[in-house]
Amino acid sequence: MIEFRDVSKTYTGSSRPVVKDLSFEVLDGEICVLVGPSGCGKTTSMRMVNRLIEPSSGEILIDGEPNTAMSATQLRRRIGYAIQQIGLFPHRTIADNIATVPGLVGWEKARITARVDELLELVGLDPEQYRGRYPAELSGGQQQRVGVARAMAADPPIMLMDEPFGAVDPITRHRLQDEFLRIQQEIKKTIVFVTHDIDEAIKMGDKIAILKEGGILAQYDTPENILAAPTSEFVSSFVGSDRVLKRLSLMRVSEMDLEPANGSDTLPRIDERTNLKDALSEMIGAGAERGLVVSDRSGVRGTISIQQIKNLSHRTEAGRHGV
Amino acid sequence: MSSLALQDLGPKTLDWTWISNNFGDEILPALQGHIFLSLTSVAIALVISLPMGILVSRYRKAYPPVTFITGLLFSIPSLAAFMLLVALPGVGLGPVPVIIALVAYSLLVLIRNVVAGIDSVPEETKDAARGMGLTNRQILFRVELPLALPVIVAGVRIATVTIIGIATIGAYINGGGLGELIFTGISRNFPTRVIVGAVLATLMAVLADVLLLWLERRLRPWARVRRA
Repeated sequence: MIEFRDVSKTYTGSSRPVVKDLSFEVLDGEICVLVGPSGCGKTTSMRMVNRLIEPSSGEILIDGEPNTAMSATQLRRRIGYAIQQIGLFPHRTIADNIATVPGLVGWEKARITARVDELLELVGLDPEQYRGRYPAELSGGQQQRVGVARAMAADPPIMLMDEPFGAVDPITRHRLQDEFLRIQQEIKKTIVFVTHDIDEAIKMGDKIAILKEGGILAQYDTPENILAAPTSEFVSSFVGSDRVLKRLSLMRVSEMDLEPANGSDTLPRIDERTNLKDALSEMIGAGAERGLVVSDRSGVRGTISIQQIKNLSHRTEAGRHGV
Repeated sequence: MSSLALQDLGPKTLDWTWISNNFGDEILPALQGHIFLSLTSVAIALVISLPMGILVSRYRKAYPPVTFITGLLFSIPSLAAFMLLVALPGVGLGPVPVIIALVAYSLLVLIRNVVAGIDSVPEETKDAARGMGLTNRQILFRVELPLALPVIVAGVRIATVTIIGIATIGAYINGGGLGELIFTGISRNFPTRVIVGAVLATLMAVLADVLLLWLERRLRPWARVRRA
């Protein structure tokens, strides 16, 4: 668990803090996304976890211990670190890049070699083909995969990721996000993830910390709760006017109470794994009020209606206004 | 001076018999002397420049004064520098003042390239290194210097070629080297000596250039490979 306790940071020579009285917890195995406009101190906050930046006041606890209990370099070797610009060592092969931290903490050679291959496979790069290459020989997306693999190398329980999928095209970014979420299901790391993109935050986060300028925590909650009930004008404008739709995109058709299907063959067919936003889009697109929910295994599951989705959204809107 | 030597350019200009008769006891020692002067000077200059460059890249404020002073040294006419050094107590004639001057000439380009090499290391590479828990020393030796090395070697290349040229003048103050052949050739009006000295110095410079260029490329294996 990572715990921010009244953490503030004011750079020397500046009167305004970049982070102010920040307090929140990141639970074990969760991805906590720090999101906000530029100048909100999200990267500064993340970099204080592994002491690349030292707070002016307050403290950060890791599993109950202040992160100043050990030397900064010792601490950093136990925390995975991946950044947008990747920062691979251009003069080292992919294998050597990934082996950086295991080498620093003194793993045996055979163990490192095996680990490098394991990680390359995990991030979808053929070890045979890639381990001996130099970073310049890889595409941007491949380099970001290596960057993430390198951060995971010594199996740190905590990882810091600063826009780790930021330097690639949107299609590759979505693929990398999906892959990483799949990996995270297995590895269950405690992750502090920084992005300026609210959609990425909603997709990646178990929790989202929305920061506003001056490093003030505007809201800290699950994506669902933030979209359903933004606590301030700032948050609701930051998450966007389409937050109702965004929230729908977090829910799947299979989670809804479906109505029985009888004689509804003409309805558009919707896979049960589809999210509600896409289901809505399909129904509107087909000019239908209802859709037929199907699954791979059991065929037709039932029907879903636009009205149902409307009710769902309306209910949470009402909840937001304290009714 | 050179016009003196080249006055009677003719069939007798290059005396091959003299070359073969004096190869062992005059030409070869001069060449060896020249190699000694150049190598020693570059080596000493490097020993000074490397730590200086690293220091300057850390304490940026020192950079302008350092380039000013080394630039000033670089701009002193070589003959004047040699004569001044000879006049210094404890120096006198011989190879020592030559080496001192050659070292002084190399400092500017070497220090500048050490700093440029370290500066060329991408900020994000250093940030990633620090973030993964490399110590400052490890960052310097495992990341910054290896990445700076090709640029440093490029500086050594320029310094070496310059030094090989200037070192010929060192013979004027009994420094030895190929300049010995050139100066005696001029004073005795014997062009063969001048030509042999000049040609060997040029060959040496070209050879050093090619060799160091090759080294520079070798030190950057990661840049040779390109995405298909």
